[in-house]
Amino acid sequence: MESKLIEFIKKDILEDSEINIEPATKLISSGIIDSFSLVLLQTFIKKEFGKKILAPRITAESFNSVTQMIEVINRF
Amino acid sequence: MITLQFFGFVLVGFIVYWVLPKQYYRNIWLSLISLIYLYLLDKNAPVIAFTLSIFSYLIASAIEWSQNRKVVWHKAGVIGIILVLVFFKYLGFISTAFSSLISDFPKFPVDKLLLPLGLSYITFKHISFLTDVYWGLTKKGNFIQFLSYSSLFTIFLAGPIERYEWFLPQVEVNEQKLKTDFIEEGFERIVYGIFKKAVIADWIGYFIKDMWLGSNQNNVFFGVVALMGYSIQIYMDFSGYSDIAIGSSRLFGLKIMENFNYPYLQPNISQFWRSWHISLSDWIRDYLFFPLSKLSSNKIWTIFFVPVIAMGLCGFWHGPAWHFIFWGMWHGIGLSIYQVWNNIKRKNKGLAEISKQLWFNYAAVFSTFIFVTIGWLWFR
Repeated sequence: MESKLIEFIKKDILEDSEINIEPATKLISSGIIDSFSLVLLQTFIKKEFGKKILAPRITAESFNSVTQMIEVINRF
Repeated sequence: MITLQFFGFVLVGFIVYWVLPKQYYRNIWLSLISLIYLYLLDKNAPVIAFTLSIFSYLIASAIEWSQNRKVVWHKAGVIGIILVLVFFKYLGFISTAFSSLISDFPKFPVDKLLLPLGLSYITFKHISFLTDVYWGLTKKGNFIQFLSYSSLFTIFLAGPIERYEWFLPQVEVNEQKLKTDFIEEGFERIVYGIFKKAVIADWIGYFIKDMWLGSNQNNVFFGVVALMGYSIQIYMDFSGYSDIAIGSSRLFGLKIMENFNYPYLQPNISQFWRSWHISLSDWIRDYLFFPLSKLSSNKIWTIFFVPVIAMGLCGFWHGPAWHFIFWGMWHGIGLSIYQVWNNIKRKNKGLAEISKQLWFNYAAVFSTFIFVTIGWLWFR
């Protein structure tokens, strides 16, 4: 799950950017991705992992790193 | 809101609330004083609040009970609530807009319909309630619990647009004791709010009032000062109201969501909207932005149209007038530009490095403030 999320963020959101992303990297608060990308992540998670994460659970705070994303995904 | 009547209700409400032995009676009391308070301000407001509460609660019950028609009940409920809002708030605007295009279009007598107080806020609370019940994020609770949420007088007129999901557990508790924290935190926020509203905002308003008038209108210097002043005034005014609302609710042991977080110190328009009227921008994000974004994966749609439409509707919610729609669209365009800028920055290493520097951050905060301040020209 972790590597798939990182790959998606790098390839589809950052469009093959050279930015290094670790599971704990702060993505939104550091400005690497913006909160608009959360919609893309929601669609990807549903498609890839079959989990429908509801919009109120996908916030700039709860989805700030890949580790946090996985925590939210596992709760659904 | 800063009236003896309001604080009288808070004080009497507070004393009786904590004297009552059970949360069930406290919820009845909270609903009752809320409806009485609303009645004293506007005779229509409690009627609408109560009727809409019955409607939404019945729909929520149908959503919970229904096995395979949840989506139908949810849509019917949301459409019903929107129709109430359109009927009272937008019918006049819509008929005027159409009659200017089509000469035979019937013009609705706007002055015959008076907008019930707090209708815009209550409709957003009800839509989020129904949607969250539909999504399974919250239970509907009992009717009194829902009525105490939907009519709560401390947040009825100007928000925050609290979510039922967070409110319900607070009125479900049994035998909650009055804590000194409630009183300390409550009074502190109320005093803070009164200071922001009655001292800072009102004084700025007093000083800039004349700058908007007469011969000063053509003076660029006065124009800039007046606009900057208005920018600070509206922040102090609105966040002051939110402080009073949050503080007053705290006296009843209720923790209402924060509505502002230093919005004028944010380095971009996206973060500004995560810090300004947070309860509204969260609402727009969850119930408008996300569903709109999923209609198409086309980049022009997601980068340009979605923010402009969502923020245009956000502006329209503030009032049935074109200038509010333009204000919202201005912010929508700002959000679009910010996304384009992010895309450029990602592909340009040099630009990405520059944007990390301290001076750039100060410039970004200042530019965001100026952008927002220019936007107030349409809002005012």
